[in-house]
Amino acid sequence: MGTVATVVLALALIATYLTWTASRMDRLHARTDAARAALDAQLVRRAATALEVAASHGIEPLRAAASAGYHSEQDARAAAETALSEAMRSVSLDEESATALAEAGRRVVLARTFYNDAVRDTVAFRQRRVVRALRLVGHAPEPEPFEIDDTPPLDTPLADTPPIRDAPVSPRVVT
Amino acid sequence: MNVGIVCPYDWDVPGGVQAHVRDLAEALIAMGHRVSVLAPADPDDDAAAALPDYLVPAGRTVPVPYNGAVARLNFGVISATRVRRWLREGDFDVVHVHEPTVPGLSLLACFAARGPLVATFHTAIERSRLMAVAASALQPGLEKISGRIAVSEAARSTLIAHLGGDAVLVPNGVNAAHFASAEPLPGWPGEGGALGFLGRIDEPRKGLDVLVDAFERLAPKRPALRLLIAGPGDTDEVSEALAPELRSRVTLLGLVDEGTKARMLKSVDVYVAPNTGGESFGIVLLEALAAGTPVLASDLEAFSQVLDGGAAGRLFPVGDAEALAQAAGELLDSPQERDLLRTAGAAVAKRYDWSSVARQVLAVYEAVR
Repeated sequence: MGTVATVVLALALIATYLTWTASRMDRLHARTDAARAALDAQLVRRAATALEVAASHGIEPLRAAASAGYHSEQDARAAAETALSEAMRSVSLDEESATALAEAGRRVVLARTFYNDAVRDTVAFRQRRVVRALRLVGHAPEPEPFEIDDTPPLDTPLADTPPIRDAPVSPRVVT
Repeated sequence: MNVGIVCPYDWDVPGGVQAHVRDLAEALIAMGHRVSVLAPADPDDDAAAALPDYLVPAGRTVPVPYNGAVARLNFGVISATRVRRWLREGDFDVVHVHEPTVPGLSLLACFAARGPLVATFHTAIERSRLMAVAASALQPGLEKISGRIAVSEAARSTLIAHLGGDAVLVPNGVNAAHFASAEPLPGWPGEGGALGFLGRIDEPRKGLDVLVDAFERLAPKRPALRLLIAGPGDTDEVSEALAPELRSRVTLLGLVDEGTKARMLKSVDVYVAPNTGGESFGIVLLEALAAGTPVLASDLEAFSQVLDGGAAGRLFPVGDAEALAQAAGELLDSPQERDLLRTAGAAVAKRYDWSSVARQVLAVYEAVR
């Protein structure tokens, strides 16, 4: 009787653990999807801001770079967005337009940082043995980080954030 | 926007994180957002009457040693229930937790939250085995965070080393108007010049020894130069360690309140930050800049960053009393240079004013919604 109870309890614990693990996997996929949608929205918003500024100032290179981002396919997307970042940095504008571009650029930096973070957590979880063995991944394709140079035009505190991979890792002690 | 903010540290005890949460909450409210702050505080305490409207007290705390100090935290079943109820009743658009790696309310909120979650990391610590072990145990809670913020490069590096991934940098804010409008203390700075120091006087890392050493070098040639020191610690001990003829020229205020702190910063010709290490940001430098007082600081990375590499304040090599004395002398002798630093400093202080910092935090909220 004691053995049966132990086995039942063990099975219940295993089932709970697996359910919990599966729900964590789902949640991570959902976080990545939401972050991707937010990133796409911010990229579109940035392109729209750049188009508007380009139109009102008659800056053809900026207009071309902004519309290239809209129309490029997935593979060419990163290159087109990097080109737009460069175009945004190379124009000199009145303060209002410059601030609008910088703001739109900073929001892309935020959204991309959060998306890549979500991808990293999701991919790490997908590679867990229990997740792989029991195919808890489901049908969701493996997400990929979105790598572009999105350094915004104005030098402001948020824009100071250096690219992820070049970040110096030098922890120090504080209270 | 309807924002819920969680502070893991006791609201009744003064501290950097608490002050950050308070100022952020008030800046967001001033911008027209709805804010509720959940923090440990004793609702039966006499101080409860003084708790702000936006604060929801989460009960008493337990002292826990953390990062070389004793942090007063609360956790356990009762706290978890409170957190869940607060989340349910608040129905927040975004929940913003602070220091989620500290065992306490923020971590509980991470586990319980269902909507968009933002976290701010304040601490910069050495890589520790405890943190490495804790990181994997905390992962189920931390992996729900959609947007991570670090308040400094050092805090960001700590986060990357312990948890991996990345965070966006949104600096600490300063309430610039509060410092700009303060009145100097009566009789200060005086004709002969005055240097100022603020910080724990008995903590070697704050570097008071270096400043006292420099003051002893300057004092003989500048008979009216005075030193104004504010901060907790044994004032008698500091006084007794001074050369007897200098004691009358060094004023020790002890622990001061926020108002006196602002006045103290206004009361000196040069504010000196001789810290020898352990600073991740240097908020007090910004407070001095906001007060319009020129800053002379050791060239720690965090200080150099706040001072724009020396453009908004003079830097000297860490721990070098002779260099400090020389730079302080030059600044005291040159009203022109002090004016230049004051102008550059005001621009830096404006950049870090809470009104501008809160907008950056809001951009993070909007990115995760």
